Amino acid sequence: MTTLRDLLTRQREYGVLALLLLTLAVVGAINPAFLKIGNLRDMLVQDAPVVIVACGMTLVVVLGEIDISVGSQMALLATVLGLLTSPSHAHWPVATAVAAALGLGTLLGLINGLLVTFGRMPSIIVTLGMLTVLRGVSLALLNGQDITDLPVGLRVFGIGTFLGLPISLCTALVVVGLTVALARETPLGRRIYAAGSNPEAARLAGLPTPRLKLFAFTLTGFLTAVATIVHQTQFSVIQAGVGQGFELLVVTAVVVGGTSISGGRGTILGSFLSALMLGMVGSMLIFLRLGVSATYWERAIQGAFILVAVLADHLARQRRPRREAAP
Amino acid sequence: MTSTTPFVQISGLSKAYGGVPALTDVSLTIEAGDVHALMGENGAGKSTLIKCLSGVLSPSAGEVRVDGSILAPGDLRAAERAGIAALHQESTAFPHLDAVDNIFVGRELRRPGGLLDRPRMKRETQALLDRLGERIDLNRPLEELPLAQRQMVGLARALSQRSRLLIMDEPTASLSTRETEILFRIIRQLQSEGVAILYISHRLEEVFALASRVTVLRDGRLVETRPLAEITRDGLVRLMVGRELLAEEQSEDYAAQGEAILEVRHLTRAGQYHNISLDVRAGEIVGLAGLIGAGRSEVATAIFGIEPPDTGTVAIQGQVLPPGSVPAAIARGVALVPEDRQKQGLVLPLSVGSNLLLAVMKSLTTRGFRSPRKEQETVARLMQGLSVKAAGPAIAANTLSGGNQQKLSLGKWLATKPRVLILDEPTRGVDVGAKAEVYRLIRRLAREGMATLLISSDLPEILALSDRILVMRQGQIAGELARQDATEEKILALALPSGPQEALI
Repeated sequence: MTTLRDLLTRQREYGVLALLLLTLAVVGAINPAFLKIGNLRDMLVQDAPVVIVACGMTLVVVLGEIDISVGSQMALLATVLGLLTSPSHAHWPVATAVAAALGLGTLLGLINGLLVTFGRMPSIIVTLGMLTVLRGVSLALLNGQDITDLPVGLRVFGIGTFLGLPISLCTALVVVGLTVALARETPLGRRIYAAGSNPEAARLAGLPTPRLKLFAFTLTGFLTAVATIVHQTQFSVIQAGVGQGFELLVVTAVVVGGTSISGGRGTILGSFLSALMLGMVGSMLIFLRLGVSATYWERAIQGAFILVAVLADHLARQRRPRREAAP
Repeated sequence: MTSTTPFVQISGLSKAYGGVPALTDVSLTIEAGDVHALMGENGAGKSTLIKCLSGVLSPSAGEVRVDGSILAPGDLRAAERAGIAALHQESTAFPHLDAVDNIFVGRELRRPGGLLDRPRMKRETQALLDRLGERIDLNRPLEELPLAQRQMVGLARALSQRSRLLIMDEPTASLSTRETEILFRIIRQLQSEGVAILYISHRLEEVFALASRVTVLRDGRLVETRPLAEITRDGLVRLMVGRELLAEEQSEDYAAQGEAILEVRHLTRAGQYHNISLDVRAGEIVGLAGLIGAGRSEVATAIFGIEPPDTGTVAIQGQVLPPGSVPAAIARGVALVPEDRQKQGLVLPLSVGSNLLLAVMKSLTTRGFRSPRKEQETVARLMQGLSVKAAGPAIAANTLSGGNQQKLSLGKWLATKPRVLILDEPTRGVDVGAKAEVYRLIRRLAREGMATLLISSDLPEILALSDRILVMRQGQIAGELARQDATEEKILALALPSGPQEALI
């Protein structure tokens, strides 16, 4: 028997979706401007990079690992993209530079994956190191100066539209669609969930867990490059602080979306919906007209969602039958 | 296959873990269509043998031939291709995945283009489960299903491989009578199709009902392979036990026994143990014997307050302990030396001295601050009493041998001056010399008035140390033996389940 409470606690997607719709309804009722197409589009465009990277991060976390270097990856990728395309620097053709950024993102993810799997180091430490190193490299490359002359050909990715929708939004939807299919409909996806669910059983079933982890980290690096290309090009300047705190937004979206930090459980759809919900918090505070000081509560509210999500997880687990074998 | 080549031939198989042999020079043959039973006490090497056979472990020496050709060692896929499938004892399910994914992960059925062919996998899963007579909700993750259904999914996975040798490690451990009967029917059906089955079980009735031949392992060595028609139940038990007792392990004196210190009454926890009552007197060592999974460690953790029982009481010198409170148990003088000293008993990177002080840190303070003088005195006293062989109190505990680590694990509790000592497998992984020292220590403590509850799977150890022996079987106390009457055969006869029984509620 599936009860409503089961649905809301076990299938986190439904809980997050309900909260998302409730927020839209309540804030919309108080201030109808919140529901205007322009505002909804702005919110979605803002969420796009978090959504894109969360798709890869979900698989990483399902495997029992984490990647907290994606913010710094984004900083380095944006810096490289800017330096390569800027007329006052390398001035490469946009297409070549974009391909280089995608390649570099993939490589960064691969390095994380190799250090975790073959280096046998905990991913939180590896990616903490990478977080600092990559941030440092991008600061050194920028050499104290912002890049202000991004070519229009590059900025199209950030400000252009496809079929009337912003490119970043289209890209995010395509990435969600593809990774959902990967997770659900391919052997690779199911093996990732299996390896995260019970590593010992995965070993006995002959699953190549290290290769699965390598794949998840590499995919996350690649998607971070995609996110950088469609997001950072919205702005006319690339500065030193790019992507700071981005990793926390992504990890928050994944955890609030129902992915268990101990692995095995979690869906990309859940991460997607919770990224949208978390992204709405800031805008919501503005539209509720609580005054300027209210908007400073954005991070506190996002953080509280993590605690609520973890608590919900804990309560849901207590209701499940015990996993230990009886004598 | 010619009639002269056996289907599976295992020759000279050996496996050691870090120098400790788990399996030594084992050879046996398994014929197609044969149910071959593999028996032995806990730790006899059965699990190691089947892990080598199914390619999970790479043997240190020896080889496995299937149809005369050598099987690549330590290669799961090669074993699978050769038609070997294993139903392992430990939980090999993926708790977050549904039955379909559990059965097919790693060997997924695909549509052209590489995507999963879900409809076909679902149909095949349903067919397999129908064959097992099991109705399972295919949309629920396994963790939400009852244990027996999870086990059936594991069996379905093994069956789906269309194997020619099916290894089953204690397959009936959590099955009900009805499910066991279905399993037996499947086994006989597979047998008639020419599938060989290597069947591991502690249940003698099952072995006699199913198998045509039995191989007995003891201490990692092959004792004998025999047709079951030529052996009796008692004969089989004797083969399993076999070893002679070392005279020096026998206790030379009987401690004077005083009043009952530990009184356990009607302790019950659903699915783990049922109606456990026992007394341990001052100066008495009570052995708690039984197979792994009989519920012995669970009773110990209940007495110590780690996992509260559903019902029942534990009293120390007549005073009932609040259930589920470790501090209360410690305050009343109970100490538990856990089974896994490395994980539960010691903080390995810390020094010998720090480990000894873990349980008494608070009582050795002066106005809330640690007192180096009191600590040094205590450590020196304990190290001498335990005869720990260590360069000094400052060296790290993980540099010590297993035996010395075990003494530390024990000594940590002696610092609290307990009245009741619960020992869970006190000499597992300890070499013979250190074993004797641990025995001497346990006996000396008993002489000084300690009430000791000794849990051990090592029957000679139980016989050598205990004044009385309680035997647990499937969560209940199956019987009690006085030390003068106790033999390994009698203990085993009480510990072995007599047949397929309803799983505990």
